[in-house]
Amino acid sequence: MRGRKITFFIVLAIALVMTYTALYGINITWWGALEVKIAGAPDIRFGIDIRGGVDAVFEPADLDRAPTAEELDAARSVIETRLDQQNILDREVTVDKQNGYIIVRFPWKADETEFDPESAIAELGETAMLTFRDEEGNILLEGSHVKNSTVQMDSRYGKYVVALEFDEEGTKLFSEATERLVGEVINIYMDDTLIQSAVVREHISTGEAMIDGMSGLEEAKALSDKINAGALPFSMVTKNHSTISPTLGSGALDIMVMAGGIAFIIICILLIIYYRLPGFVACISLLIQISGQLLAIAIPQITLTLTGIAGIILSIGMGVDANIIISERISEEIKAGKTLGAAISAGFKNAFSSVFDGNITVLIVAVALWRFGSGSVLSFAYSLFTGIIFNFVAGVTASRLMIRSLSQYEFLRNPKLYTCLSRRVTL
Amino acid sequence: MKVIDFYSKRWIFFGIALATIVVGIIAGFVNGVELDIYFKGGSILKYNYVGNVDANKAADIASNIVGRAVSTQITTELSSGEKRLIINISGNYGLDAKLQKELDEALKGAFPGADLKLSESSMVEPFFGRMFLRNGIMALLIASFFVVIYVWIRFRKIGGLSAGIMALIALLFDIIVVFITHIIFRIPIGDSFVAVALTIIGYSINDTIVVYDRIRENRKLYPKLAIEEVTNLSITQSMTRSINTSVAVFISVTVVYILAFANSIEAVQGFALPMAMGTIAGCFSSLCIAENLWVMWNKREAKA
Repeated sequence: MRGRKITFFIVLAIALVMTYTALYGINITWWGALEVKIAGAPDIRFGIDIRGGVDAVFEPADLDRAPTAEELDAARSVIETRLDQQNILDREVTVDKQNGYIIVRFPWKADETEFDPESAIAELGETAMLTFRDEEGNILLEGSHVKNSTVQMDSRYGKYVVALEFDEEGTKLFSEATERLVGEVINIYMDDTLIQSAVVREHISTGEAMIDGMSGLEEAKALSDKINAGALPFSMVTKNHSTISPTLGSGALDIMVMAGGIAFIIICILLIIYYRLPGFVACISLLIQISGQLLAIAIPQITLTLTGIAGIILSIGMGVDANIIISERISEEIKAGKTLGAAISAGFKNAFSSVFDGNITVLIVAVALWRFGSGSVLSFAYSLFTGIIFNFVAGVTASRLMIRSLSQYEFLRNPKLYTCLSRRVTL
Repeated sequence: MKVIDFYSKRWIFFGIALATIVVGIIAGFVNGVELDIYFKGGSILKYNYVGNVDANKAADIASNIVGRAVSTQITTELSSGEKRLIINISGNYGLDAKLQKELDEALKGAFPGADLKLSESSMVEPFFGRMFLRNGIMALLIASFFVVIYVWIRFRKIGGLSAGIMALIALLFDIIVVFITHIIFRIPIGDSFVAVALTIIGYSINDTIVVYDRIRENRKLYPKLAIEEVTNLSITQSMTRSINTSVAVFISVTVVYILAFANSIEAVQGFALPMAMGTIAGCFSSLCIAENLWVMWNKREAKA
């Protein structure tokens, strides 16, 4: 296969567009209708270890059994409601049902200098005070009287509803309340936050009630979890929590970005001095690889931690390696006396099996870590995985397209341009 | 090109590797292995402050509130002149967030002029660190298993099983070097150790596989050459590439280290230095350990 002259410029254009997108993101609107939005580096979600923030693991206090999945969901809804209340919206709340705990992470807010993380998390795990109140705010009954709350499908209207079941005293209290308040509103509060208002349609004495008006399953589930939280038999405590100051966080980030830039320039200079034309091509394909990897982190909003950056460093190293192997192989073939075209073909062919085996082996490691690892190892595995995929795209395919294409230009057909430094010296 | 006789120098290489490990063990006895709070559990609070703070008084206040022995320490940042109060609460378990809040209020009350600001805190239950470590090691064992299987299949022409196992032994050396770097430079073994070890493993296995690939290729090209000669030739051919890649990675990581050092970002320093050392180890073990072990193994098999 002979390369076409134009191919190099197409690949270069792709590399530049990808680099630009990865660095700045894209946000264009065409004729007010078609909106194109691609997240770039500025939109990357950085982990708490980089931008500072709070990381806390909540577990049930004084519970002699493992909490059930429903209880954990209820506890989670308590934590989420309180985070809302404190206006901490940018957060991650993960429930580990297997081990029975809830992980809460939230970053420092950019504009906040007097952020007080201890008090923010100290209250999160408290048992929720769930109350049903009338419009004057009188407490009609408490959440502990709710035996169970579930999401059900109202078959008449095909809509999701939340079904409540009260205990004996709850039934009595609810019956009294609904008798008095037909046509009026009952408000449900968690602590002091209003979570739902419902109009009483009729007197309910059976101890079973239904709340409708949910927009969908998600909303119904959220409400049901919150109501269950009122009867949660335990509070959550956190003895495992850490705070990282934002100065350490953002400082570390800026330094890493600067270091990355300097390192990239040094690598490019070395590649070009040592490997000449294939080295130059390697720099462009590294641009594709790195920007592709950054986009793969930015677009799905994967949280990038320091270990994730380690994964990026490793895959850049692998990318450099792939290009070096290719350059060395082409150089060897030229020294063995092949013509330029044949040397390029043979070089890529021989390099491919090395690059393939090396990358697949590391890919196996990445997948195993992703599947069986936990915590920050996952971030590493994800970066590494995407890095290797882009290494195949860039290091193998893009480099070959570019070198083939460039070798079509008469002034770039001097074999010396394809020989590496050590061999130029001995030639 | 002159073929370098790696195989006849194998005992020198093994000697270097063993000497490194012995130095590491001695350093371990001298410096002690410092586990990060992340793995051993415990409670540490770091406050920035201005003016004066009586560290002993702070320790007494803290000890009264948490009901455990507390040690305090005052450090001054060299670059910024920032003063820092470090409160270390004994015991390898965390501190309830509510107690921490109480402690925070008491300290601020006791030193009203110091403008105490919490810069970092870690409360760690050892359970979580252990679980993380266990999952990580499990994942690595499973990964190693599949890597060996893959190498076995892909390199069956050159006796893939032994090649895979020797590659793993070389990896073990790399991890030991990363570990030793932590000990010598007194970097606590924690989260970043795991990240660095993983990076070096990935990097070194790739490096080793590329040399195996060359051996497989040369075996086909020169079927009459003895196994150690093919290996010597293959390592010589792959050497420039291996060294150049390592230099590129080493330079990048060194840039990171220098900038982190200049700006005294400990977290990044503790991550870059072992990675730089691991890069050298990875290059060394891939060129000088894995293949020589593999040749020895195969020669022994042939004799038997």
